[in-house]
Amino acid sequence: MYDLSKCLSAALLLGLTVTSASAQTIGPGGETATPSTLVLVADDQVAAVRAASYTAALLWHDQSDFVNAVTAGASDEFARLGIEVVAVTSAGFDAAKQRSDIETALAKEPSIILSLPLDPVTSAAAFEEAREAGVSLTFLSNLPSGYEHPADYSAIVTDDLFEMGKQAADALAEAMGNEGTVGWIFHDATYYVTNQRDNAFRTTIEKDYPNISIVAEQGISDPARAEEIANAMLLKNPDLGGIYVTWAGPAEGVLAALRANDNTTTKIVTLDLSEPIALDMVRGGNVVAIVADEAYELGRAMAASAVLDLLGQEVPPFVVAPALTVTADNVVEGWNQSLNMDPPSSVTGAN
Amino acid sequence: MNLPGGPNHRPTDRSIPADRAMTPAIQRLRSLDLQRSVIYFGFLGIFLFFAVTLHDDGFLTSRNLTNIVLQTAPATVMAIGLVFALSAGEIDLSFGSIVAVSALSAAVAMQSYPMFVGVLAGLGAGIAIGCMNGVLVAYLRLPSFLVTLATMGLFAGIARSMTDLRSIPVVHDGFTGFFGSGKLFSIPSLVLWTVAAVIVGHVVYRHTRFGAHVLAVGDNAHAAQVSGIKVSRVRVHVLTLCGATAGLAGLLYAGRLQAAKYTLGESDLMTVIAAVIIGGTALNGGRGSVVGALLGSLLMGMLNNGLILMGLRVSDQMIVRGLIILVAVAVSLRDGNR
Repeated sequence: MYDLSKCLSAALLLGLTVTSASAQTIGPGGETATPSTLVLVADDQVAAVRAASYTAALLWHDQSDFVNAVTAGASDEFARLGIEVVAVTSAGFDAAKQRSDIETALAKEPSIILSLPLDPVTSAAAFEEAREAGVSLTFLSNLPSGYEHPADYSAIVTDDLFEMGKQAADALAEAMGNEGTVGWIFHDATYYVTNQRDNAFRTTIEKDYPNISIVAEQGISDPARAEEIANAMLLKNPDLGGIYVTWAGPAEGVLAALRANDNTTTKIVTLDLSEPIALDMVRGGNVVAIVADEAYELGRAMAASAVLDLLGQEVPPFVVAPALTVTADNVVEGWNQSLNMDPPSSVTGAN
Repeated sequence: MNLPGGPNHRPTDRSIPADRAMTPAIQRLRSLDLQRSVIYFGFLGIFLFFAVTLHDDGFLTSRNLTNIVLQTAPATVMAIGLVFALSAGEIDLSFGSIVAVSALSAAVAMQSYPMFVGVLAGLGAGIAIGCMNGVLVAYLRLPSFLVTLATMGLFAGIARSMTDLRSIPVVHDGFTGFFGSGKLFSIPSLVLWTVAAVIVGHVVYRHTRFGAHVLAVGDNAHAAQVSGIKVSRVRVHVLTLCGATAGLAGLLYAGRLQAAKYTLGESDLMTVIAAVIIGGTALNGGRGSVVGALLGSLLMGMLNNGLILMGLRVSDQMIVRGLIILVAVAVSLRDGNR
């Protein structure tokens, strides 16, 4: 039977999408973004979900504070809904292990799989068995090639990627007094998440800050090489006002290079929370801001998307969680909002 | 001829005093070489543990058990090559990079050419790199550890630059069926590849002159040289064989994932070395077992599988797996490699 209330909810959802979500972050297939705050399992639906005895498997790409926070967000939402988590795995960025993890988890016949497909090409075959088994698939950030919404997956949930890059540009520009030269260290790989964030930084600097110019750019695929890349960049551009680093891991190497050169003037902005980077920031070092995502909210939204899919409700194909700029002034609140935990004592102690 | 280090040779027997004074029962007990048997007891013990504790969690289903074999097929094939290399007193650290280069070579070739060209490209790349390792080790007299450490980095870089870090899809149905998802008489092709590789590897290792020469070189290269074995040639052959098995593993990965990526094989190095050591192959040459390597590989796959099904957190899975491997390797090496 045609359900008018569902139709109205969907229309309302789509209407809000246009006004609330970032206009710039688009899905891998060009999907419009929907804010994660609009993806909710209502209290009056909980009883039906509990009665269905669903189970879930969380099949991640790696282990990190970020993944832990996503897991916590998803697990808490599943606990609220009476859904048992039957398997948690980490593929260590290994496409073959991700496929093995999926096959292994399917032995427990989960109703839901939450996962980050390592890349569109290798993941297409990896998730095939789960797709054929009718498991509700909800993806974090990436989409396997050829998968169609809503037949094959409930939703892609990710960060507001454009906003993260833009906020990084805004924070660096403010710290530099809206003028000077910048080095751009981007992720040298075809990877949807980092590519969008990196390009958003560049676009924002070029569009919104005419007195700031990107004078050096260098791709990086191995974080261990960040220090030598930064050293070379500084050798050619000793007066560099700021450096954007694609994520916190390589930013630690860039920071080491600046310290080795006794450089206290070049500002760093990077993405994703990290203790050494945050410690430098609160001590008034080179790092001026870290732009983070709301990882806990990502997990909650993934769980909610999967459950709504199982309930037969319409789920928006592309859901984004907000970005937040963390500085020395809001590090405690930012850490909690992003990772659902207090910052390390070294960071709070230095603040 | 019963060459030193040949199929019937038992280096550890030299440490056993004359058995003439022992009773038959004690002799039988002494002949139970712990380090040779650990893989069988370990495999059986861990299998029974998971079978009991995960009885209701799908561990014993035929699909799950088949999955373990499928998931470990590339590692098993690589392990067989490594048994030969270690038995000859050499080591290959580059096979993970060879896997990626082979898989990418095959995938790229099949974008423009028929399947057999892709297969030749993948296997050819593995054989060529393995041969290069062998020549550097045998004729420039460089240690295989250092040569393959260098070529590991070299070919990891080449794998990355081959496709500019992109994954390459493999859409050739014949290839993905033959090397990945296909079946013959209801038996998955990866199971058939595993069985075929183990049978061929075991026969060559135990029942051919080449296998005997490999063990002889690993046991005492000087003695082998004096007895007329071309030691340098054996070294080239074992490292070429390692490259070939890594190339085949690359094809199996490309078939299974229906794609090739520069990261393929990167994480297999420690898994495969652990599987081979647990399987009873000596790190310093002269002793090994292809069947043991198969069981070692399956044991590693079974651990991954069982610990996930137990519902452990990822960090706990790593801790338990590490402890079990540590115990297994320690027992395996206790007698043979002191």
